[in-house]
Amino acid sequence: MPPAITADRLSKTFKVKVRDPGLKGALRALLKPRYRDVHAVRDVTFAIEPGEIVGFLGPNGAGKTTTLKMLAGLLYPTSGRVAVAGFAPWGGGPAFKRRIALVLGNRQQLVWDLPPEETFQLNRAIYDIAEPDYRERLAELVALLDLGDLLQKPVRQLSLGERMKCELAAALLHRPPILFLDEPTLGLDVTAQEAIRRFLTQYRERYGATVLLTSHYMQDVTALASRVLIINRGRLLYDGALAALVARISRTKRIELVLADGVTREVLAGFGDVKEFRFPNAVLEVPREDAATTSARLLAALPVADLSIEDPPIEDVIRAAFAGGIELDEP
Amino acid sequence: MSRAPLWLRRYAALIRNAWLVDLQYRASIVLWLLWGVTEPAVALGIWWGIAGDGQVAGYARADFARYFFALMLVNQLTIAWDSWYLDGWIREGELNFRLARPLHPAHEAVAENIAYKARTAGMIVVVWLVVSLVWPAVRLPLAPGRWALTAAAVLLAAAMRFFISFTTGLLAFWTTRATAIMELHAGVSLFLSGRLAPLALLPPAVAAAAALTWFPYMLAFPVELLTGAAQGRAVVTGFVGQLVWLGVWIAAYHVTWTRGLRRYGAVGG
Repeated sequence: MPPAITADRLSKTFKVKVRDPGLKGALRALLKPRYRDVHAVRDVTFAIEPGEIVGFLGPNGAGKTTTLKMLAGLLYPTSGRVAVAGFAPWGGGPAFKRRIALVLGNRQQLVWDLPPEETFQLNRAIYDIAEPDYRERLAELVALLDLGDLLQKPVRQLSLGERMKCELAAALLHRPPILFLDEPTLGLDVTAQEAIRRFLTQYRERYGATVLLTSHYMQDVTALASRVLIINRGRLLYDGALAALVARISRTKRIELVLADGVTREVLAGFGDVKEFRFPNAVLEVPREDAATTSARLLAALPVADLSIEDPPIEDVIRAAFAGGIELDEP
Repeated sequence: MSRAPLWLRRYAALIRNAWLVDLQYRASIVLWLLWGVTEPAVALGIWWGIAGDGQVAGYARADFARYFFALMLVNQLTIAWDSWYLDGWIREGELNFRLARPLHPAHEAVAENIAYKARTAGMIVVVWLVVSLVWPAVRLPLAPGRWALTAAAVLLAAAMRFFISFTTGLLAFWTTRATAIMELHAGVSLFLSGRLAPLALLPPAVAAAAALTWFPYMLAFPVELLTGAAQGRAVVTGFVGQLVWLGVWIAAYHVTWTRGLRRYGAVGG
């Protein structure tokens, strides 16, 4: 089967008007406009297989949303090629648009003054969904997303999390095989985030959908995606498994300890870098290759009630990846 | 297989939603209705006073009354607010999800127009009927043929004003002042489309200049067709003018949409 999504040396350069501050700057910009090239996406290449969930990570302004918009056909690439579900997205027409869903976390398609069901009905007509199919799919989405009595409440009275759940339902009624989700959990509380993640996993399992999602929340990615694309300043820095990235980037492991008694910070410092110490809990950081031997030494020398070896928090790893600039090639 | 049932369902759903949203803002419906009635009523009041017992450029009091009642109705049936919607869609990024749907955003705009016009014009017809019971001056002669012609002219005028408004709204792809341009257009149309006075009252040089633009065809012509002021040759030139300008504005829309989308695609939302 051909990949669901391919991007081949995809680039996007925006021309941005440069304006100095103040009235003088405004006048000068009017009379003699100056432009500057902003390379939002540079030579990005990847392929996503049908049924994959891929996390798209990067700081603000890294080029995530720009890439997503090119894949959804909203932006025209400056150079390079894109294929989504066998279509060139720009100019893909209605047949292409029926195969995708685009959910932008900060922009909603739900009609603000009406209950969500009215938007669903509208999408039923727009996507030409037969009534029995619509009923069946709606019932399924209501169950999976736990929409219950939300369908009849005006959208403006819904909480952010409830709105996002309804937004997803509206975007998926036509059961698209490819989903582009831009920050679907932005601003949501932990419970709502989990509900969205659970739903996406179930949707993928049932329909084999391909999902590309951007997120600031690392939990979204660790819970959903086995594979991540990391982009910074428009360049793809990493494409591969999250676990492999952690192993590659982080040269250290964390040893989390629960101590019995009589152990001081100074004593622990003899075993590694003490990151946290609040008796009886302590966290040591040690070189990755020494984690096992250090643990053994700790158990032998100190009254340890509990010990576990962890990778550093994924946020730290990603931050290191952005800062350090990792090589794209797999090790 | 015919695609007509699909389009009917789509339009029915879009119009239904527009009406449902309207119902959430009942007070604003009344305000818009008042707005639609006030301007022609004030203009009528002025010309009523000026005409006195005589005539102004062939218009007696009763003629002014019929003219401004017809204007009130035709204006509501042809007015288009699309530039304001589009400006918002483009600048607030709400065009994105509309472009990702398998439906051209213009259809939503057309449906909004139908919904708005059916509602407001319906109310104005009721107002007119009630007023004509007590005020014979505003009664129209029973002339089904002329009404049918007027219906055609109103449809063409509505289409033209839609494309003018939509195209101007698309300028938001390039400038943040698209609605200001539309305001300017509305200001000029106040004089040249017959909103303040029948075109026969304009100074000849201004009337001649107006005839070279689309303004008379978007309002004055269908109004004069309805009141019976347009006869014979004027009817033919009116329709020709409407068709020509509609064609021009459709072409302008097409160019602006294609280029605007390219630009949007180039610089982002």
